[in-house]
Amino acid sequence: MPIIDLKDINKTYQGAVPLHVLKDINLEIERGELVSIMGSSGSGKSTLLNILGILDTYDTGEYHLGGVLIKNLSENRAAELRNRMIGFVFQSFNLISYKNAVENVALPLFYQGVSRKKRNRLAMEQLERLGLADRAHHLPGELSGGQKQRVAIARSLITNPSIILADEPTGALDSKTSHDVMQIFRQLNAEGMTIVIVTHDPGVGEQTNRIIRLVDGQIIDRP
Amino acid sequence: MTDLLREILQTLRNNKLRTGLTGFAVAWGILMLVVLVGMSKGVLTSFESNAAEGTSDNVNIWGGNTSMPYQGYKENRRIRLKASDIDVLESELGDRMTGATATVSIDTAVISTPSDYITGGLYGVFPEMEKTGRMKLAHGRFINRRDIDEARRVLVISESNAKILFGDAEKAVGRPVKSMQLAFIVVGVYSNEGNTTNYAPFTTVNAIKGDGGYINQIRLNVSNLSTEEEGLEFEKDVRATMGRIHQFNPDDESAIWIWNQFVNHLTMGGAFRILNMAIWIIGLFTMLSGIIGVSNIMFVSVRERTHEIGIRRAIGAKPRNILVQIILESVFITALFGYIGIFLGILANEGIAAAFSGSDFIKDPTVDLRLALYVTIVLIVSGALAGLFPALRALKIKPVEALRDE
Repeated sequence: MPIIDLKDINKTYQGAVPLHVLKDINLEIERGELVSIMGSSGSGKSTLLNILGILDTYDTGEYHLGGVLIKNLSENRAAELRNRMIGFVFQSFNLISYKNAVENVALPLFYQGVSRKKRNRLAMEQLERLGLADRAHHLPGELSGGQKQRVAIARSLITNPSIILADEPTGALDSKTSHDVMQIFRQLNAEGMTIVIVTHDPGVGEQTNRIIRLVDGQIIDRP
Repeated sequence: MTDLLREILQTLRNNKLRTGLTGFAVAWGILMLVVLVGMSKGVLTSFESNAAEGTSDNVNIWGGNTSMPYQGYKENRRIRLKASDIDVLESELGDRMTGATATVSIDTAVISTPSDYITGGLYGVFPEMEKTGRMKLAHGRFINRRDIDEARRVLVISESNAKILFGDAEKAVGRPVKSMQLAFIVVGVYSNEGNTTNYAPFTTVNAIKGDGGYINQIRLNVSNLSTEEEGLEFEKDVRATMGRIHQFNPDDESAIWIWNQFVNHLTMGGAFRILNMAIWIIGLFTMLSGIIGVSNIMFVSVRERTHEIGIRRAIGAKPRNILVQIILESVFITALFGYIGIFLGILANEGIAAAFSGSDFIKDPTVDLRLALYVTIVLIVSGALAGLFPALRALKIKPVEALRDE
C-alpha cells in the first residue's frame, strides 16, 4: 500500500477569477521513496505540498495518507496527524526565534505531552545525529543557514514521522550547503525515510529517485 | 502544566517591554481601585463610628427669636429654654425618646484656690458629654450619674487650669476649690487642647441658678425612628410642644433652633453611600481600562506572532493548545501585575492611614483581605476574557496563511 495515494484531486482557489490550481492529480508514493515535485512558480506545487501536509484542503478527489482518508478532518485530528505522521522542512526554516536549537527540535513533542526531560534528551539525540550537538543551546539567530536547516530537519524527525515534506529546503542556501542538505536527505532516505521535496531547482531534483513534474496544475511526464 | 507555564514565561520574557507596559497598566488600575476604595471605606468607617458613638441619634434645641407674631405677642421676642421644658418634652414625646440631656452655664463664675483663680464660668453637663465632647481624661474621672442625681458639687477642669490652680495637674484630683461661695471638689482633669471649660453636673449648676433659670441647650436622644420622614415629624412635634410652652407659632422656624442630627445622619449616610458607589465605579472603570489594555496588547501579540502560531500549528499544535496558551498568558499578566497593584495599594493605604491617624474624617482606610479572594477571581476571569478574543482571532488564522506571513 502506498504511503501517499492521491486520486483525482482538484483544487480551485475561489476569488474574483477562480483559479483552478490542481487538475485531476493522481499520485502514488511508496514507503521509502525519495521523490521531488518540480514545477515553475504558479504550477501548483506548493498547493500540492500543503494538501499533502494537511495544511490545506482539496475540493474533490481522495487523499489517503498511510491508509487514512484525509478529508473533512477536524482541526484537532489534522493537528494530531501532522504531529505524528509528517515532518515539515521549510525554505525559510521556520524556527521559533526565541527558542534555542534543542527547544525548537523538541517542540513537536511538547504537543504530544512528552515530559520536558525526555523530549530534550530525544532532541539532543537528533541534533547529534545531524552533527549539531555543539550548537544545541544556540538561538536560531546565532546559527548559519545550513545549521538552521539541519535544526529544522532534526525537528521534522523527532516525532519519527511516516513522511518528510520539504518545501524548497535549499532555496535559501548556497550551493555548497544545498549539497550538504541534500546529502542529509539522501542519507535519511537510505535509512528508510520517505521524503517528498518540492523544488524548482533541477540540481535538487536530479538527486532524488523520482521526479514528478507539475505544469499548470497537471502532472506530466510520469515515469 | 509547569511545561505550559515555562512556555508562557519564555514568551513573556521575549517581550519584556510589552509585558512590562501592559503590566504597568493593570497594576496601576488595580492600585487606583484599592486606594480609592480604601479611602472611601475610611470615610465611611469614620462616619459609621461617629454613629456608633451616639452622635447620630439626637435632636438638639437652642433658644432663638420669634419671627412671627403669635397670640398677641409681637415678633422678635426672645425664646429661652428652661430646665422644666425637659420634663414636658419627655412626657409628651417619650414614646420616641430614650432620654434627654441638657447644658446650662453660669458664665460669670470664678473658681479659686488659696493660691490662684480662674474664670470661664461653670458649665453644667450630663455624663454623656464625656462621649459627645470626646473628653480625654488625663486624671480622675468625668461627671457621673450619681453626681447628677445628688447634684454634687464636683468639677472637671482642663490641664492648663489645673496647673494654674494647683501648680501641677496631677495633684488636682480630690482637691477642694471655691466657686460661687460654694466648695467644689475637683474629680477629673482632661487634656483636650484648646478647651478650658469647667464642667460641673447639670443639676448642680441648675440649682445654683435657681428655679426659672435659663438653660443653654436641650439634647433629646431619639429612638424608634427609622426614616427621614419620621425624623422630621419628630422635629415638628418638638416645635409644637415647645410652641405651646413658650407661646410661639409652631411653624416659626427661628423661635427655637433645632439641629436634627438624626436626619442629618440619614442624609449624610445617603450621600456617603452614593460617594462610595461612585468611587467603586471609577475604580472599576480604571481597572477595566487596564484590562482592556491587556486585551489590546494580546491582539498585537497575536498579530506579531501569527507566523510563530503558524509554525506551531504545522508541527502539531491543536487549536486548544494555542487558545489555552494565549489565555493563560493574559491571565498570567493580569494576575501577576494585579497582585503587584494590590500590594502597592495596600502599602499606599497604610501610608494614608498613618498620615491621617487621629483624624475624624478618615478612619482605618484599609481594604480587608477577604477582598483579595474576590480580586483573585476577578483578575483571573477578566484576564481570561481579555485573552479570549485575541485567542479566538489567532485560531481563525489558517496554518498555511500563518506560515506565509513573514
